[in-house]
Amino acid sequence: MTTTERDVSRASGEGSSGHVPGGRDIWFFVLFESLVFTSYFCVYLFNRTQHEQAFLLGQSHLLLWLGVLETIVLLSSSWAVARCVQHARAGRFERARREAFLTAGFGLVFLILKIVEWVRLIHMGDTFTSSQFFQYYFFLTAIHCVHLLVGFVVLGVLVYQLSGEKRRSQVTVETCATYWHSVDFFWVLIFALLYVVR
Amino acid sequence: MVENEFNKRLLGVWSILVAISLAYLWIDHAATHLGIPTASTVVTVGAICFAVVKVRIIMREFMEVRTAPRVLRLLTDFWVLLMAAAMLGVYLAGKAVA
Repeated sequence: MTTTERDVSRASGEGSSGHVPGGRDIWFFVLFESLVFTSYFCVYLFNRTQHEQAFLLGQSHLLLWLGVLETIVLLSSSWAVARCVQHARAGRFERARREAFLTAGFGLVFLILKIVEWVRLIHMGDTFTSSQFFQYYFFLTAIHCVHLLVGFVVLGVLVYQLSGEKRRSQVTVETCATYWHSVDFFWVLIFALLYVVR
Repeated sequence: MVENEFNKRLLGVWSILVAISLAYLWIDHAATHLGIPTASTVVTVGAICFAVVKVRIIMREFMEVRTAPRVLRLLTDFWVLLMAAAMLGVYLAGKAVA
């Protein structure tokens, strides 16, 4: 199957290309990380049910619209890195590189919004030790931020790969994109659990 | 042509994900009384279900699982269900013993 035929097949969603995006290793990592995060979420949800009013009080200090904005920014970064993969697959490496920079830009906006939110809460007296809700809030958002920071390194690798003709590897491009998407969907879950559940 | 098809599809996926995110604002409005959040099992279960649906969409479309081998498609679907079942199960069990 030629690259164009594979692209047409993928675009129309026909059958399976027999291709694991990014290779198996990154999927083992993503699925393992998903389980680790799920275990954090379960502990949080259980504790929440045992101290419902205290958690609701803590939650009332969060700005839901800011959480929604952060989610949209991170979803936009995922969209950009998905386009990056498509451009790289089609041999449009300069456009792929631009999309990688755009992805990092959205990631940076997310990080700035997160820091602004942390500073606002700390000024209001909501810290890691102020209540159980904020202990979970700061733990989950911080561990996610660590993944985001690793994501910037991964995007650096992606740009480095795309910049040199001899270094280009579609598997590496897909691996980097898969990691970045996982950072996005971990946030989707964290956002729902911290900002929305009642 | 293929590029346009990809772009349109990715734009559609992004729009759906953003729309679900914005729907949370409406859920929040429904579960807030005089500016104070009120406990609601329906809202909690709904929020978790919406989030899990978003995760599946991200995996299928952005992460290209849709066109991956059957084993990865089944494995990721199983994983999403496992995550949802774990979170909802623990939440409902916690509510029962609270």
